[in-house]
Amino acid sequence: MGRLGVLGCQALSLGALLLLWEAAVRTGVADPLFVPTPVAVAAALGPTAREALPRLGDTLLKALLGYALAVGLGVLGGLWLGSRRFAHAVAMPYVVAAYGVPKVLVLPWIVLICGLGTTTAVLTATLFAVFPILLMVAAGARDVDPTLVTAAVAMGATRGQVSRKVLLPAVMPSVVAGMRVGIVFAMLGVLLAEMFAGTRGMGFLMQRMALAFRASDLFAATAIVSVLSIVVVLSLEHLSRRLSRWR
Amino acid sequence: MKVLAGRIAIAVAVLALWEAVAAPLNPLFYIRPSVLPGALVAMWRVPELPPLAEHVWLTVKEIAAAYAIAVAAGLWLGFLLGLRTTVGRVYEPLLAALYAVPSVIWYPSLMLFFGLGPASKIAFGVLLGFFPVVLSVLAGVRQVPPTLVTVARSMGARPFTVFRKVMLPAMASTMVGGLRAALALAVVGVLVGEILGARAGVGYVISYAYGLMMTREYAVLAVLVGAGVLALDTAGALVEARVKRWAG
Repeated sequence: MGRLGVLGCQALSLGALLLLWEAAVRTGVADPLFVPTPVAVAAALGPTAREALPRLGDTLLKALLGYALAVGLGVLGGLWLGSRRFAHAVAMPYVVAAYGVPKVLVLPWIVLICGLGTTTAVLTATLFAVFPILLMVAAGARDVDPTLVTAAVAMGATRGQVSRKVLLPAVMPSVVAGMRVGIVFAMLGVLLAEMFAGTRGMGFLMQRMALAFRASDLFAATAIVSVLSIVVVLSLEHLSRRLSRWR
Repeated sequence: MKVLAGRIAIAVAVLALWEAVAAPLNPLFYIRPSVLPGALVAMWRVPELPPLAEHVWLTVKEIAAAYAIAVAAGLWLGFLLGLRTTVGRVYEPLLAALYAVPSVIWYPSLMLFFGLGPASKIAFGVLLGFFPVVLSVLAGVRQVPPTLVTVARSMGARPFTVFRKVMLPAMASTMVGGLRAALALAVVGVLVGEILGARAGVGYVISYAYGLMMTREYAVLAVLVGAGVLALDTAGALVEARVKRWAG
């Protein structure tokens, strides 16, 4: 089956799913109060988009701020931990534990200290995104082939040259992989913070739609955020493929 | 030995720093680590919160249900997509795209559909736990060397024997990693659901304590739940290591 065939099958299955869904609601299998028909969702897309776009911008901006912080901290910390044997041995259990603990548990505390505003959302995004990035970069930095470094040093490379020409290209794939995972976590953090204690932003809007039983608006908003995040992640993936070609 | 000393030094330094920074600040918001043991004892003696044992038990049941459903559905779909290459090529990109969506955005819809009771928490745990299972099964199936399968078949092994003796050992370590990640995510899903809106469960008690500004009690609960989750994850890591040794 060619590329077109695959795309066709995907479109057909999605179409069939939508039809089935429409039929399920029309025939009363699902209650339209909780599950709106795809037609109703499509009709709600326009008005919801108008309501959602400014909030979505707000949410994205906070996610990007938190993401930038997380990438900075995660990459620097990961490189440092990955290149020092002793520090790695000492700190790794803490990093892994911090990665494993559900971050929602800390969220109320962040809200207590930072309030209901932007700071809380940005910090939550950073908290969610920093550990996966840190772990991936540290693993990548540890796996750099030492013979490459030895060879470069033996041929008279300076420290700066070794970092730039040997270590950086070798670590790049794990940095990009970490960044790709990190963006989803950053958005998740912001949306969760907004749902828990927001006064603006997309998460707050969606939580309010759910509590007000605005089902079709809620589904439309979910669709808008999903498409947006898929676009963001796919473009990062595209970027990472180009970077690996550069390498 | 030096490593252990370093680890203890970090823990002590962090706690001391936190204690020192928080000391002059409002004790209601900046909870110092040193008040936690006392708060735990006080909670034990004079229970002001809803009875914990019931709520913990409910959360454990929700997690178990979410994990069981996520694993069953994930294994089924993973093998369906992994063993039939055509079906896999059509649906795997769709799954990968869905995986790129920050999962919390499904929660309001689930809450609307399943209500504030345990069902919406279980559904969210299933949704989160399902993806790592499917994706790890897909990755695992791809790791099975096709020559081994061909050889086993040509020597007359039946399909089930091929599956058990050839495929399963070759994909076990990847799959078990996915199963462990799924458990962690099922826990997260249930907890997030309970904290965002519930009438029962550990997350509800945490939200309740926080809502009444019982910040010490909240901190004690958060630390206890965090420790419980870590213990569960450590047990998962031990199982994973064992399976990896078995699979070689």
